[in-house]
This record gives sequence, structure tokens and C-alpha cells, in this order.
Amino acid sequence: MSVIRNIAIDEWRYWRRSRIAISVLLTGLVLLVGSAFLTAIQMIDASHEREHLQTEAENAFLNQPERHPHRMVHYGHYAFRTPPPLSVIDPGIDAYTGNSIFLEGHRQNSAMFADRQASAGIAMFGALSPALLLQILAPLLLILMGYSAITREREARTLDQMIAQGVTSVQIMLGKGLALGGVTALLVLPLCIASVLAASEGEAVSLIAFFISGYALYLLTWCAAIVLSSTIMRTAGGSLGALLAVWVIVAMLMPRVSSTVATNIVDAPGKIETDFAVIEAVSKIGDGHNAGDPAFTALRANLLQQYNVDSVEELPINFRGVVAGAAEAELTDTLNQFAEERMRVESKQVRIARYFGWLSPVLSIREFSMKLAGVDLETHHRFLRETEKLRFDFVQSLNKAHAEKMTYLDDAGRSGDPEAEKRTRISTENWKVLEAFSFEPFPATDRVEASFNPLAKIMLWLIAILLLCRTIGRRAL
Amino acid sequence: MTRTVVEARNLTVSRGQTPVLSDISFEVQEGEVFALLGGNGAGKSTSLLTFLGLLEPTSGEALVFGKSVQNDIASVRGKIAYLPEAATLYPHLSAYENVDYFLSLAGIGRSRADVEEVFDRVSLQQEARDQHMERYSKGMRQKTAIALALLRETPILFLDEPTSGLDPVAIDEFNRLVTNLAKAGTTIVMVTHDVYGACQVAHKIALLRRGTLVGSFEAKNGERIDTETVHAAFAERAVA
Repeated sequence: MSVIRNIAIDEWRYWRRSRIAISVLLTGLVLLVGSAFLTAIQMIDASHEREHLQTEAENAFLNQPERHPHRMVHYGHYAFRTPPPLSVIDPGIDAYTGNSIFLEGHRQNSAMFADRQASAGIAMFGALSPALLLQILAPLLLILMGYSAITREREARTLDQMIAQGVTSVQIMLGKGLALGGVTALLVLPLCIASVLAASEGEAVSLIAFFISGYALYLLTWCAAIVLSSTIMRTAGGSLGALLAVWVIVAMLMPRVSSTVATNIVDAPGKIETDFAVIEAVSKIGDGHNAGDPAFTALRANLLQQYNVDSVEELPINFRGVVAGAAEAELTDTLNQFAEERMRVESKQVRIARYFGWLSPVLSIREFSMKLAGVDLETHHRFLRETEKLRFDFVQSLNKAHAEKMTYLDDAGRSGDPEAEKRTRISTENWKVLEAFSFEPFPATDRVEASFNPLAKIMLWLIAILLLCRTIGRRAL
Repeated sequence: MTRTVVEARNLTVSRGQTPVLSDISFEVQEGEVFALLGGNGAGKSTSLLTFLGLLEPTSGEALVFGKSVQNDIASVRGKIAYLPEAATLYPHLSAYENVDYFLSLAGIGRSRADVEEVFDRVSLQQEARDQHMERYSKGMRQKTAIALALLRETPILFLDEPTSGLDPVAIDEFNRLVTNLAKAGTTIVMVTHDVYGACQVAHKIALLRRGTLVGSFEAKNGERIDTETVHAAFAERAVA
């Protein structure tokens, strides 16, 4: 073990005395620390701002004066997605999907205010999240630090001198790997510091430890690949060329290929096409603002029969409110079908893209990271479903008040009768139908369980490379 | 009673399809200086690398203390100190650091005083010892490498063109050092194309030509091997 440690220490001594190695390492660390700092500020700020906006939106709704409940249906409400604690490291798809939704009657609005749409200046630097740097840049730094770890010794013939001292090929590879492991530890350090912030924001410490371990395992996989390349290639140039080629393929090309293949296999209808389909489907549903719409004839007949009366004016409830509720339910059902279909397509595309994780550890660590941080597509879909439930519940509660808190005659005649209009204004107590909204990521155990699959892919890569080191590497030395 | 320490037994080594050593045999006894003499490409360094386990024999055996190098490489390497042709040390380290590092790889700890003493023996300038080796001359690098080999205090020393790049005074010092080591019981195998240097120190000389042993000479009655005789044979059989 002391031989392995001595080889690692000597490699570090070489790096300390090499301006290039020091520059590469310092550049990487400055970028990582800077990115961790900026992302942490950005996400904590966003978190507090969204919590504040959520409270403000709820207060604004609750503080509305007495008015007709249907006006409150159109007044609407905002739901904000508070970034989860680990988004200080990996903001995930938060930046692309938007983080707030305007909820109103008769519509399912999409999420808005994505950082990528609003970004300018400093926000663009914020796009260099610690996660992205660790996934893409850190392997490149490791390559630049370690590509010549063994080829350098071979070219200078110090490798023969080492072997002549009785050092085995396995000890040399492990020593060089240990040195690169030290670089990995340094690169992961900013992640640990940012994790303290995540822990202070309420994330489970065990999950954070698992998160950091996953990244360490990913970077160690790169370390093993670098040692392997440096062992089997005859020259430092050859080793660097081979490693850069691998990096370009797995870090640059494969993510692009995976999404292209996924979108080609699972065709997603375009926005205009979907919008036309929605309009066509919605047009077949009755107009909830018009109680005389033929679409509600059966509803009217049923109610008249149920209450044993001859006209809607005689009903103990406001037929217009009943119609509004029925129309909303039918409309929501139709819109949900489109929304679920869109989410199904997106999920299928993502599932296909994730298969490419077997070919690229970069894709695997990305999936692992987003799942654990709670910023993946599945979480976004849950946000959409929860906000839709919130929307439907408060709209239907208002429609219920519309049906129960006023008469049909007052409601129908309010535009021509100021007194009737006054009577259709209901108490502000009715606005308390709005539930307080707070979006939380999946429970820690669920997220850990979901991240096993991508972690297994990374482990498989590591085991495969270590086996290659054991067979090809030992022979090459 | 002397014993055989290093032995090549019908040793053949090929690189690809080309044989570099063909069926060579020799024995070196304890405390002997054995010189393998030959021109460029004769297979001298290949012989050493085979004994170090860095090359595999195609047939035959390389034996150290009667053990096959291929079967017991770890134990064999612990008994051999190797001085490569070009002093293969780290330019970014000082002589002290180089020696300290390689000794640590061999699992050997030496005090600063021990190292100083050996540096004195190889005449490495005091003021150079803490400087990075990138500033060293070829001769100074060679002296450091020799010091490293000596500090290992192994029973066998393999020297690949050991006096290459040394000035005449340093060569004389080196030759004295080799002679004293042999007297102290160290077995030395050196490969060289320096006929004069080999005759100064060697008890046995073997001539190698294109991987084949073509002649051998042995010092008798405590006298040196005759330089003229070896030179003539070398010119006739090795270089021709």
C-alpha cells in the first residue's frame, strides 16, 4: 500500500511543479467554486422569492372584495414551484420548463418564466451549474491532468526504473489512479460545500451523501479510463487523442444522439397541431357560460326530474352555476387527456434517451443527479398534475358557490338589475376555498430508489474499465 | 566455494518474429564482474531486460539464484539493482528526491547520511544534490543513477552502458567502485561496447553478435583480461 501511496504522492509532486497541471486544476476549481456560489445564490434567492410570491398570490386571491364567484374563476391564481434544496447543485429541467403557472377557469396554461427564456447577462453564467461542470468539464480536467500519467514514464523510461525497483504493474496503475482520485476529491469539494447549503434548506443528509458518492463514482470511472488509456497507449499524444475522442463522443455526441433518436422514434405532435386538436375537441363541449346551450339539455332534464320541478327558475340551486361546474368538469377531462398524452410522449422520449446511459456515463450521471435532486421530468409532470388539481378544485369550489349562493333569476338578470347584481356578489369567506400550495420533491427514499438504475450503469462502466485495466493494462506494462 | 548467481540457459528472445537473442548460455558466479560486449543491436540490453522480467524469453531460461525470472519475478527484482543506459530519473526532482522516491518504491529506507555517503562515493557535486535534475549534465545524471543502484545494496547489479557519458576521471572512479563492490561480494553484470572499460573490471567477458555469443574471455590468476586480445576479437567477430 505504501508503494501505491508513494506513486500517488510523486504524481502530485509532479503536478505541483508543472505550471500546466496547476493552471488546469486551478481553472477547474475556480469555475466549480464560482458556479457553486452563483448557482446557490440564484437558487436560494429563487426559492425564497417563489415562496414569497406564492404567499402574495394567495393573499391577493383571499383579499378580493365581495363579487360574483365566476369573476373569481377568471381572476385566477398563481402556483409556483419552489426549487428543491439540491437544485443549488443541479437546477435540472427547472430552467427549461418554467417554474410558475397561472391557474384560471376553462384553461390549462403551461408553465412560464423559465430561466432560459428570461436569461440575460449573469443568468447565462448561472447556466454553468456545478452539476453540468462536474458532468462535462471535470472529466476533461481529469483527462488533462492524467493523460500522460503512465505514458510519460514510459517515454522517459522511468517506467523501467520503477519496475526494476520491484513495483508491479497493478501498483503503478493503482498509484496513478489514486493520484487522480485526489484530484477527484478536490473537484467534489465544492459540491460538498454546496451540499451543506442544501442540508440547511432541509434536504436529507443521507440523500446528500448518496448524491456526492454518485458523482465521486462517476469521476472515478473517468480516472480508471484515463489510467487505462495511459497504460495501453504508447505515447502521451496517443493517450490524449484517444481520451479526447472518448470525451467528445460520450459527453458531447451521445446526449445529442440520444435526444435525436428519442424524438425520431416517438413522434411528438407540434404545438400548432396540438392547439388545433384541442380547439376542435373543446368545441364539442357545451359553453359553460350559456345555460341554454343544447349540450346541457339532458342535465337540465335530470335536475328538473330530481327536484320534481318544471323550470330551472324553480330549482333550489342556480342552474347557471351547475352548468358552469359541469362544463368545467367535462372541459378539464378533455384537456387532461391531451395533457396526459403529451406527458406520456415526453416520458417515452426520455425513457428512450435514458437507454443511451448504457453507452455514455455522462447521460447516466445526468439522470442520477436530476432524479436525486428532484428536478427531473417526472417531478415536473407531478408539478403539472398537482397544479391542475389545485386549479380544478378551486374553480369547482367557486362554481359550487355559484350554484348554491344565489338564485337563478338574480344571476340571469344581474346585468340589467343593479340590485340583482348586488345580491350575486358573495362573501369573501367563499374565497377561502383556495388551498395553500407548496410543491415538494418526491420523498428521499423514492428518489434514492429511482436513482439506482443510472447508478448501476455507472458502476458497470467502472467495473468494465477496471477489468480492462486488469487484463489489457497489465499486459501493456 | 562460489555459487552461480546469474545464468542464461539456452536463452532465446524474439521481438515479434525477429529473434534478438538466439540460444545464448552463460553463468556468472557470486562476486564476479561479467561484461557482455557487443556492438549496437547485438542484443546486450535485451539480455538485461529479460533478466529484469521486462521481456519474456521465447525459449530457454533466465535464472537468478537458480530461480526462473519468469516464475518468481517479485523475488528476483528484489535482488537486482538496475542502472539503465540513459539515466532514467525525473528531471523535475533533485538527486535526493529521485533516490528517495525510487528507494521508497523498492521498500528501502536510507538516512540522509547514507545517501550523502554514496553521493560522495560516486563524486556527485555537493552543490548539485538539491537542484532539479533538468539542470544536470549527462554525467551527473549517470552518477545519481549509480548512487541509486548502490543504495539498494542488492547482491546483483545490472549495468547498461554504465560509463557512457562520464568523463575519464569519473570513469576511473566508477571502475574502482565496481571492483570494490565485487570484492565485497556483489555480482555485477554489465553490458557495454567499451572494450577498454570492460577489460579494466570484468572477470569474464562474453562477445555478442546479432544475438549470438561468439566468444568469451576469462581473467586468470588475478590478472586483467588482455585488452588487445578482446579488441581484436571484437573487431573481427562482433563488428564485422
